[in-house]
Amino acid sequence: MTLTVALDIGGTFTDLISFDEATGVVRHAKSSTTPSDLSIGIRDCLEKSGLDVRQAESFIHGSTIAINTAIERTGARTALIVTQGMRDVYRIGRGNRPEAYNLYFKRPIPYVPRRRTFEVRERLGATGEVIVPFDPEQAMRVVEEVKSSDAEAVAVCFIHSYLNPDHEARMGRLLREAVPETYLSLSHEILREYREYERTSTTVLNAYVGPKVSQYLSHLERLLSSLGFDGSFLIMQSNGGVMSPDTAKRIPVAMMESGPVGGIIAAASVGATLGFKDVIAFDMGGTTAKASLVEGNVPSITQGYYIGGYASGHPVMLPVVDVVEVGAGGGSIAWIDEVGALKVGPQSAGGHPGPICYGWGGVEPTVTDANVLLGRIDQRRFLGGEMPLDAERARRGVAERVAEPLGLSVIEAALGIVRIAVAKMSLAIRGISVERGFDPRDFALVAFGGAGPLHACEIARELHLPTVVVPRLPAHFSALGMLMADLRHDYVQTYHKPLLESDFGRIRAICSELIAQGRQVLGSEGVRADRMTFETYLDVRYVGQEFWIQTPVSQAELEAADRALIRRRFDEIHDRRYGHHAPEEPVEIVNIRVTAQGSRDRPVFPKVRSVAADPLLEHRRVYLDDPGTPARCPIYDRDLLAPGMEVEGPAIIQEYASTTLLFPGDVARVADTGEIIVSIDSAG
Amino acid sequence: MAKPDPVTLEVIRNTLPAITNEMSYDLQRTSYNMMIYEVRDYCCALLDVEGRLLSQNIGGVSHFVSDLGVVIRDGIGQHGRDGFRPGDVVITNHQRVAGQHLNNIVTYTPIFFEGALTAFAAVRAHWIDVGGMSTGFGAGSSVTDPWMEGLQIDQIKLYEAGVPDPKVHKLISDNIRYPESSMGDLRAQVAACRLAERRVQELLRRYRRDVVLDGIELIFDETEAKCRAVVERLPDGTYEAESFLDPDRLEPDRPIQIVVRVTIEGSDMTIDLTRCSTQRKGAYNSRTLAGAYVAYKALTTPLEPVNEGSFRALKVEIQEGNFMMARYPAAMAGWSTALPTVIDTVFRALAPALPDRIPAAHLGTLGVPVVFFGTDPRTRRRFVVQSIEGGGWGGRPWEDGESATVSICQGDVRNGPIESIELKCPVVIESRELRRDSGGPGKFRGGLGVATRVTNLVEGYWNLGNTLRTGCPPWGLWGGGEGAVPAGLLRLPGEPDFTAIDVTHHLVPPGTTAVVVSAGGGGWGDPLERDPERVREDVVEGYVSLEAAQSRYGVVLDPTTGAVDELATRRCRARMRAARRGVPPGSDAHGTDPGRTR
Repeated sequence: MTLTVALDIGGTFTDLISFDEATGVVRHAKSSTTPSDLSIGIRDCLEKSGLDVRQAESFIHGSTIAINTAIERTGARTALIVTQGMRDVYRIGRGNRPEAYNLYFKRPIPYVPRRRTFEVRERLGATGEVIVPFDPEQAMRVVEEVKSSDAEAVAVCFIHSYLNPDHEARMGRLLREAVPETYLSLSHEILREYREYERTSTTVLNAYVGPKVSQYLSHLERLLSSLGFDGSFLIMQSNGGVMSPDTAKRIPVAMMESGPVGGIIAAASVGATLGFKDVIAFDMGGTTAKASLVEGNVPSITQGYYIGGYASGHPVMLPVVDVVEVGAGGGSIAWIDEVGALKVGPQSAGGHPGPICYGWGGVEPTVTDANVLLGRIDQRRFLGGEMPLDAERARRGVAERVAEPLGLSVIEAALGIVRIAVAKMSLAIRGISVERGFDPRDFALVAFGGAGPLHACEIARELHLPTVVVPRLPAHFSALGMLMADLRHDYVQTYHKPLLESDFGRIRAICSELIAQGRQVLGSEGVRADRMTFETYLDVRYVGQEFWIQTPVSQAELEAADRALIRRRFDEIHDRRYGHHAPEEPVEIVNIRVTAQGSRDRPVFPKVRSVAADPLLEHRRVYLDDPGTPARCPIYDRDLLAPGMEVEGPAIIQEYASTTLLFPGDVARVADTGEIIVSIDSAG
Repeated sequence: MAKPDPVTLEVIRNTLPAITNEMSYDLQRTSYNMMIYEVRDYCCALLDVEGRLLSQNIGGVSHFVSDLGVVIRDGIGQHGRDGFRPGDVVITNHQRVAGQHLNNIVTYTPIFFEGALTAFAAVRAHWIDVGGMSTGFGAGSSVTDPWMEGLQIDQIKLYEAGVPDPKVHKLISDNIRYPESSMGDLRAQVAACRLAERRVQELLRRYRRDVVLDGIELIFDETEAKCRAVVERLPDGTYEAESFLDPDRLEPDRPIQIVVRVTIEGSDMTIDLTRCSTQRKGAYNSRTLAGAYVAYKALTTPLEPVNEGSFRALKVEIQEGNFMMARYPAAMAGWSTALPTVIDTVFRALAPALPDRIPAAHLGTLGVPVVFFGTDPRTRRRFVVQSIEGGGWGGRPWEDGESATVSICQGDVRNGPIESIELKCPVVIESRELRRDSGGPGKFRGGLGVATRVTNLVEGYWNLGNTLRTGCPPWGLWGGGEGAVPAGLLRLPGEPDFTAIDVTHHLVPPGTTAVVVSAGGGGWGDPLERDPERVREDVVEGYVSLEAAQSRYGVVLDPTTGAVDELATRRCRARMRAARRGVPPGSDAHGTDPGRTR
């Protein structure tokens, strides 16, 4: 492999990053997104980067088109076909109101109106048996109604179809014959897991975004081929893997939450390279901070999420990289509420007007403004000096809006703003580590995003994390991660039986079937057999519980039907995660899961070479903990740090779009591959 | 005084709710009964040594708000301030103090810091059975005293200094029907308390005990100030409203009267419940302030965390012997049944004070429970089908009410997925549908109720009916109409029709079908002022029938095109307005006058 390209099209910016393994050169370019014609931004990026796409072996694309179509409600006119009696299941949902005291709560607004929801006479029972046979004549009448409803897409979800897809498949055949141009989503082709509302919602979303995403991907394929690209074109998924455009056109709902995954994959990869098996990926940008747990070099995955937030959003029952997000970014606004309490976020000054110090008209003090006042961000060398910052204006803003009302000095106020942001981020990280039974002392914090490295050491100390890793190119780390993604597909089949009564022959047969599906899809995506791996899990719980624990099992264990071992493993995970377990209680299997992966060659970054120049730029007064006395901090230029070099805190290491802050006692060492590894002084 | 700086204060303010939320997350994920994992019929709280609320999780059952203080104070009274040791776990459900149905089991642990008792961590959770008649959602109206209802536990130490007492464990597990489920829930409750102990100790270590405790006082003050700021903006006055629930079987001539008087004076609010029904012979008694608390919380700071300061600016007047402050041993199995109606009546009273904020009445019952239980002859395992179906909410002053949603007393409470229920229990759920025309007509229509139809495949017991809101349906406001009333219907095999029924532990043969029907919400404003296009849209979507479009909204649709016939609509509405004359102002045929102002 020589040249790999990743292209990330967001609402505002189109980002391109490429890596040439032969030369070790990383190129990056950014351009405005032109929603009317995305090719303008892509061509612009290619031009700016001087990249010849004809040389590229693979081209990986992350896009917000699926989620934007859902959130902006600009998808296809969709019809829904369900089992008789179930017309309203999609509208009724779960009947809940997460905001318990809010009289004006909002339920999710369905993507399909009731008048385009049709019932078909058929019914399966809970073992997949037929209770009411599929009625093809009545189904044909429904097809006619779908036709006259002018639907551009159709979703089909029958009760218990995850156990027996026959009726859904027959409905699908009738539709394909009668309305072949209509986009079709059958629930069992997307996921085979019980819970009818969540499965229906997932299937409807797939149909709703399907036509638009398909068109978009076809358009991109044509564009790339017109530019002479003939390598493999891959699409980022929410589960941390990539897929072919054909798979993406079939299951576009799998792209929905792919935005934050790049950085997490990259963090896992950096961890693996440096010998840290367990890391916490920490990404702090302008509006939010995101954190995700990577255990054993594998990003943690959660089964399901909500488009548009939990309170009023739409469930998607598909695996997604587990990310917590808090409203604490560089642009988060510090404010005083009506009873005089100091708050930071969740409102953000965003990119425009941005923090006060940008001088673009922002008047509300932000976390970035506080960092400038503390001397932690270099007001002269921000973005390599391309954008000088107005510290004086920031000082006035913090003084007027925070310090004076609270009777604090400006520096006390600025320190307070940063401390509150750090505490919020620490609580969020605790939410994915300590709260799930992981001891943070075993983890390294991989910090990226423009503002991540600046706050990482403080957060690590708060959580007793011993190590912080600042990767190369922290501000472009997410795009970089896309270059490293493997192909990945997740399959599930509900199989509900007490463990002791479970039929391992049947379980093995289901696994083989799911693996065969994965093999077939990976094969169609051009993955060689020796590059495919398959992992198997059983979802296990104590009888009576609803939530299960995804318990890994090997093929050999399935072969041996080793119930006792599976049982023990489940008890152990339960105990670690929740602090108690019940070895004497019966357990049951709920679902069988298979993850199919096709590994791609990962880019190998060359070792950094020493540069014969002094990395010490200057000394600057920086406020660390004491608002009365700033520390005299040496400031280093990261590009000039040689491998093996050590820097002791207090110190600041600056680079083009990011800053690493070391506290007294922290010691940073530069790895051969260029990452900064900081040992945190947890006594501090 | 170790007054914390504003920054430390904000950190403490964020950390306390994070601890109770973490307790809640773990409890829910590891519980064994749907009342916890779907209905979230539990609360997790931190309290100080005076029983004041430091923090409580938000999300599940709203009527648990700030109600553990009395339990902790009672425990301190019984065991003494010096009677706790690290590692103790106390369990209680006794109605003398707790005042709820016996299914609600409280466990709590003392939190020590540097040798001193500093706080308590408590979890109250609904067990699926505590013996007696308590199976499922509780004994409901079927019992007349606590002994019939189930096992009573009065501040017993389940663990002493970390050592579990096997006798207490055995006594409990021998006297409940689903010990494997409830003892699992108990483990989850204890684990959540232990988790909170560790988290609170970390916080105290990090910021010093005195700083944290003083910070908590400041947080109470701020919370109170926020509530006062909202009430301050309301016009001073005394506002009243009345409603009622159907009488129970023991006193068929005495409806459960709800009379509410709200007084606003500056930033103080008083909610007077003293004229509500006195103690009942049946089981709808309780000892609770939730009727006033939930309403106040929703009006003042609905999205903020809860603590002791949340209710300091509210005065609740209620006397001993009131059915919501009943004397032990009154039956309390149906303790929370009246609460959604009480809360709605508080809102109704305040409608003239807040005409642009108060919606019409919602379903007014605790969702509608689906309960069928028995033993599966194939597996010989006991099962309980349980789901809570939502109903309609009232029209709002600017938009229609939501449909098919659980009550004001239930927040993040979810119905049971059909596939999940059928995987676990021998029933077929044939339909779960919105009820056409169940939403009260109005300029802004009430939301729709739900009808859920279930056939049992094996012999078993139904709990059905007990809806209590047939005599006083969800009311409309400012001329809006009533929502449709709830019902429980049953059809035995071979019977041609369904019969409305009100039963508990009702044995039926296989092949019996039940339909559980929830109420619609009331309408807001005159239905004749509803935009005819919206009525047409409702007809197209099937929310309103063609007949109701005309008879309730005066909207005539063209039978061929389905479009609004504007001329016919104008005439129809004029006729309907003319027919109304003679009705006294301030009310209408539906009796929808909002509360009177004094």
